[in-house]
Amino acid sequence: MRHRFDFDTLREIGDSLFRNKRRTLLTGFGIFWGLFMLLFLIGGGQGLKQMLSKNFEGFATNTMVMVSANTSMPYKGMKEGRYWSLTQRDVERLKALVPEFDVVAPIVSNWGQTAYYKGNTASPSIKGIAGDYHKVEAPIIKYGRMISDADVEQERKVCVVGKRIYNDLFPQGGDPCGEYIQVGSVFLQVIGVDYSTGNISINGSSADALLVPFSVVAKLYQRGDKVDLICVTGKPGVKMSQMEDKIRSIMSREHIFDPTDEQALLLLNTEQIFSIVDNLFRGVNFLIWLVGIGTLLAGAVGVSNIMMVTVRERTVEIGIRRAIGAVPRDILSQIIWESVTLTLAAGSAGIVFSVLILNVVEAIAKHQAVFQISFWTAILAALLLSVLGVLAGLAPALRAMKVKPVDAMRDE
Amino acid sequence: MLIELKGVHKTYDNGQPLHVLKGIDLEIEKGEFVSIMGASGSGKSTLLNILGILDNYDEGEYHLAGKLIKNLSERESATYRNQMIGFVFQSFNLIGFKTAVENVELPLFYQGVNRHRRHEAAMAYLEKMGLTGWASHYPNEMSGGQKQRVAIARALITHPEIILADEPTGALDSKTSVEVMELLTRLNREDGVTIIVVTHESGVANCADKIVHIKDGLIERIEDNRQHHSSMFGTDTIMK
Ligand SMILES: Nc1ncnc2c1ncn2[C@@H]1O[C@H](COP(=O)(O)OP(=O)(O)OP(=O)(O)O)[C@@H](O)[C@H]1O
Ligand SMILES: [Mg+2]
Repeated sequence: MRHRFDFDTLREIGDSLFRNKRRTLLTGFGIFWGLFMLLFLIGGGQGLKQMLSKNFEGFATNTMVMVSANTSMPYKGMKEGRYWSLTQRDVERLKALVPEFDVVAPIVSNWGQTAYYKGNTASPSIKGIAGDYHKVEAPIIKYGRMISDADVEQERKVCVVGKRIYNDLFPQGGDPCGEYIQVGSVFLQVIGVDYSTGNISINGSSADALLVPFSVVAKLYQRGDKVDLICVTGKPGVKMSQMEDKIRSIMSREHIFDPTDEQALLLLNTEQIFSIVDNLFRGVNFLIWLVGIGTLLAGAVGVSNIMMVTVRERTVEIGIRRAIGAVPRDILSQIIWESVTLTLAAGSAGIVFSVLILNVVEAIAKHQAVFQISFWTAILAALLLSVLGVLAGLAPALRAMKVKPVDAMRDE
Repeated sequence: MLIELKGVHKTYDNGQPLHVLKGIDLEIEKGEFVSIMGASGSGKSTLLNILGILDNYDEGEYHLAGKLIKNLSERESATYRNQMIGFVFQSFNLIGFKTAVENVELPLFYQGVNRHRRHEAAMAYLEKMGLTGWASHYPNEMSGGQKQRVAIARALITHPEIILADEPTGALDSKTSVEVMELLTRLNREDGVTIIVVTHESGVANCADKIVHIKDGLIERIEDNRQHHSSMFGTDTIMK
């Protein structure tokens, strides 16, 4: 007795599958479509997530922004509704007292200014920043450089222009570094151009910003040592949400408000935003797998069903095979191999087709994100298919095994 | 003694039991040419299926080449069928999506004979049947007589000691019936193959040396036909 898998076995399988091309095609289509759906959804979901993540690009993921506001509780003899403000001393204090922080960067802003350069105008939001602000929001420097610590210390009248401001003021393009633009009554020398376009940014879109050393802004607009916001980023591994109590206790002690007064000090934590997006996509992924696996399973059940019918139709044929020397195991392995071959062939077509379609989608999306599934996803899908093929073939194969040689005689 | 049946009973039980074979005693020597005759429903096919280990029996004993055929495993019975017995059926029972030569090769495929040798052997037997030109044709492209000769080639390819044929001429006209019976007779005379043919037709039965008459599940009589005078239509004709 033979029990090898060889070319002849393959031919036996091929003969049986090709005998009824239309049925084989229809059966295979279920698997093909199931696998295509699964992989296409996986690729699509991944690409969409990347596209959405683009919005957060350049923005440190564990950032917290502090803003002062009126108190909402009476405290130590002081009435509620009192206004207080963050100061530059708070920046120094936080740097000294909270070793978990990587960057503590103040921002002093001014809106409603108009900038002029050789007859061109633009309406920037002026953002006074410190030399380490680039660690909070990474710029994409097109020309020149970013604001440095030295710029801040020496109160240099320099600026870095955002993309849209640059386009408005310098419509002819080219490197504007060294040129002077007029903002209100002062002239600021351009030292860089920032091309970043992330939509999540502090105090307005970075394309509309005019970045200036905060010491210059404070002096120009008579802010004293008051700052509008303080941005802090945590060192790697630090969870910003767990730092909130510490910040509140430091600031409330200094500015005398109730440490439990959450309205007096607004703390915006990017971790929360990211976790919302993450959760959203976890949900989307779950749906993708549910739908994809569901479709695939339906395909496998289809294969199983049709093979079941096929086996019944082939009773005489199987009986003949048994009469001329096939043992039940020959029949079993033949049916299972047929099922596996069918699912694998149809599934591979599904893999190839989804890869092609995802390529097209990626091209349509102008290659802004990776929609293509990974090699290992494809391998995993193929493995899953083989398992499905065996399972789908199992019930029909067991039925085929029950065919007795006499059944060949009881024809039609 | 090649085949030895003692008190073989067979009852089909599909809802209500049907006692088909009611104690068959039969002995067949190696090299004999036997035909089995009887009315429709008398149990001829049932007996032949038991002889071919295609079906089992309920009572009695069946010895094939000295071996008691009872409660064999699927594997054992498959091996006996594959190596000792060749089958020829009324409806040919070729596999429709395989060509003539592939059909003939199939028993060797299940023996594990390699492709090349299988093909050669199959071609040799087709040639013996005068079907060389039909090797790559599918059954539905062939006449009944050709199909039956393909089936005989398939039965012969494993060099069986016994050929069991259930109404091999049942679907053939008289001319091809004669051809097929001549073929079987030659196999018996020249190669010493034991041949057992179930038939309704006296002309077919007349080719055999021994005619077993079955009636109601019992052997009515065994006719010695070595003179081949059984058919009233003469020795060499098969009247339809
Ligand atoms: N698998 C089966 N299940 C139930 N009854 C069966 C089965 N096979 C045959 N029979 C019955 O057993 C009886 C004998 O059948 P068998 O096929 O042996 O007759 P036969 O002599 O070959 O008849 P025919 O000349 O018509 O072929 C018949 O009544 C038939 O209906
Ligand atoms: Mg019959």
